Amino acid sequence: MTKLTETRFTAQASVPQGRPQRKKNLVQRIGKGGFIASLPFLAPALAAYVVFVIAPMISAVRLSLYQWSGYNTDPQVFVGFKNYIRLFTQDPVFWTSVQNTVVWVILSLIIPTTLGLVMALALNQPLVGRNLFRSVFYIPGVLAPIAVANMWRWMYNPNYGVFSEISKTLHIGDGSGVTFLSDPKVAIYAVFAAFVWQVAGLNMVLFLAGLQGVSKELVESARLDGANNWQVFRNVTLPALRPTVVIVMVLTIVHSIKVFDLIVGMTGGGPAQSSQVLALWSYTQSFLNHDFGLGNAVATVLLVVTLVLVVPYLIWSTKGADDQR
Amino acid sequence: MRLLAKAAAALATVTLLAGCGAGGSNSGSGVTTVEWWTINLTAPAANQAIDKVIADFEKANPDIKIKRTPRAVDAHKDALRTAIGTSAAPDIYDYWAGPGLGGELVKANASADLTEYYKQYKWDERFTGAALAPVTQYGGYHGVPWKLNGEALYYNKKLFAQAGITQTPKTLDELNTAAKKLKDAGITPIEFGGTVNWHVMRLLDTFLEGKCGSATFDKLVTKKANWGQESCVTDSFTELQTWAKDYFNPGFIGINNDESSALFYGGKAAMALEGDWFNASIAGQKMNLDDVGVFTLPTSTNRLYGFEQAQYITKDSKNKDAAAKFLDYFTSTKVQQETLGLFAVQSVNKDVKPDEAKASSLDKAWDGVFKNAKGLYMNNDQNLNQSQTREYWRIQNLVATGGLDPKQAGAEMQKFLDSSN
Repeated sequence: MTKLTETRFTAQASVPQGRPQRKKNLVQRIGKGGFIASLPFLAPALAAYVVFVIAPMISAVRLSLYQWSGYNTDPQVFVGFKNYIRLFTQDPVFWTSVQNTVVWVILSLIIPTTLGLVMALALNQPLVGRNLFRSVFYIPGVLAPIAVANMWRWMYNPNYGVFSEISKTLHIGDGSGVTFLSDPKVAIYAVFAAFVWQVAGLNMVLFLAGLQGVSKELVESARLDGANNWQVFRNVTLPALRPTVVIVMVLTIVHSIKVFDLIVGMTGGGPAQSSQVLALWSYTQSFLNHDFGLGNAVATVLLVVTLVLVVPYLIWSTKGADDQR
Repeated sequence: MRLLAKAAAALATVTLLAGCGAGGSNSGSGVTTVEWWTINLTAPAANQAIDKVIADFEKANPDIKIKRTPRAVDAHKDALRTAIGTSAAPDIYDYWAGPGLGGELVKANASADLTEYYKQYKWDERFTGAALAPVTQYGGYHGVPWKLNGEALYYNKKLFAQAGITQTPKTLDELNTAAKKLKDAGITPIEFGGTVNWHVMRLLDTFLEGKCGSATFDKLVTKKANWGQESCVTDSFTELQTWAKDYFNPGFIGINNDESSALFYGGKAAMALEGDWFNASIAGQKMNLDDVGVFTLPTSTNRLYGFEQAQYITKDSKNKDAAAKFLDYFTSTKVQQETLGLFAVQSVNKDVKPDEAKASSLDKAWDGVFKNAKGLYMNNDQNLNQSQTREYWRIQNLVATGGLDPKQAGAEMQKFLDSSN
């Protein structure tokens, strides 16, 4: 492992020394004209961001304090925190949707991520037909989620679906076919299987890109030092993949929290709202129940949860960028 | 100066737009355009019939143009929600007349009271009592009846005979006996698709009407009776659970109504709880109509189970007179007679008679169902508002899949009704 240490020192020494490395705080940067000079260039994007992202967010938070059916002819009535009280104490579906969202995020961080990494490690080896396998595993990722939902719903069909046919052929169960989407205890996991099928390939591509950045010299050095496959992976590959792992994790969290299409397409949140998630419940309350106050209260809760999970990453990544200035 | 000219032009455009009321326009040529938003009709023949009605009306009334915009159910609801109260709103909109749907729009001040047009065109004398009831329930006249659909039990005659059932059930007990016989004969008694919720709901509504009676049913859906304290509510949910477990097609909750209907078309299920529009579906599936029969839901209350669609004129419409003139033509005896069977097997116009020569055996059976009915009880997704309906469905599905004790179902529903008030 001596070589590893030496290489790292060499890499650090190669940083240009001509300019003194010093940190600038925000005030200094604005004062030096960095921010003001860039403002005209930022303005169009900033305006679009304010109109299409910030303003709707503020509007959603404001509406969560009102009772409103969504019709212009119907007045918006200020009710304070009544929608939140209803949501937390009386809504029979809200806590189910919170639980499902949390379970979905946790499982997403474990299963498709691990699967993507394993596939990437396997397809990073010099195999025959490697590119073909990479394409095959990646293809589900480019399909529209609603198309994936239709496909899997058909496969789960208790009368004609492929799983039912297999179970009948192998005489598994009572012969009535597979009823995964019909069981309130199983439905959410049945939908999650479709999610794994779709996103594992995407994760694989990200990990493959990360693996191209792992120094071959370091791997060879580790092997010369007598490290086995696991030790190389644990001590060389995995640390080098750290930035990729963080990106995959953050993207997975963001995608998981806003999961919508697959559930709409496969169960619609059912049976008996057992596969309901926060994003879909917000939509349901607003656009199907015509209760925009409650719907926006769910959206606000979702916003807060997302910020709590994503802001630490943003701070971390911004800090990294600042350090490099 | 160029900038000033552009600003003036923009201001003039804004002023012009601001001056427009809801709905269509009255162009300088004297032609009034009536905007009419409708729910999609799936049958091509029904669409062609509506196009012909419009063409004939425009020919007879060259000063009025009808611009029809059909949409899918959810898109129609979304479009109305965003347009009502703005200049983009139509002059006429098509909607279900139940208090939970059409009633919500009446409550939101979207619909105009048409009393003056009812007097002018004598619509009171044109429509059947059953058709008028849903449009008069809010005081005044909101909407013009267009079609009244009934729902009943379709059955496969061969499968009934195979199970030894010689007569159609007249009571809920007889219906239970028939279902048991079918099951014992290895036949799926009835098909349902649970993902759409309202399909299974029809059976629960039937049990509530049958076990509670008309008066209590009406009190329950108008929140004048307590769901948690009526024993008939528990009986109804218990019955639903038994049927879901023993008599529904396996895995019903994971498929939709189209998928489950395929079981009926294919002779794999003996009964289907459907509306009169199912006649056309059966014919389209090349089933022999003589092998299929229909009988009234055996609730013993003699009320017809069904719902109505009406055409509403928006409150802010600037073309109310032209809109009313078109609706008068659309619901006239001549037009309704010509289109009979395309939108519903029974017309809302009481002077329209079934054409015996053209009517199928199922059409004739339906004629009897309508004639023998004493009043109407509507689907509960029409009676309850949207959020209450969704909770009703949640409880229904929980009970049907064994996730909730039927004894707790009524109390659960009441708890939600109390919290949403």
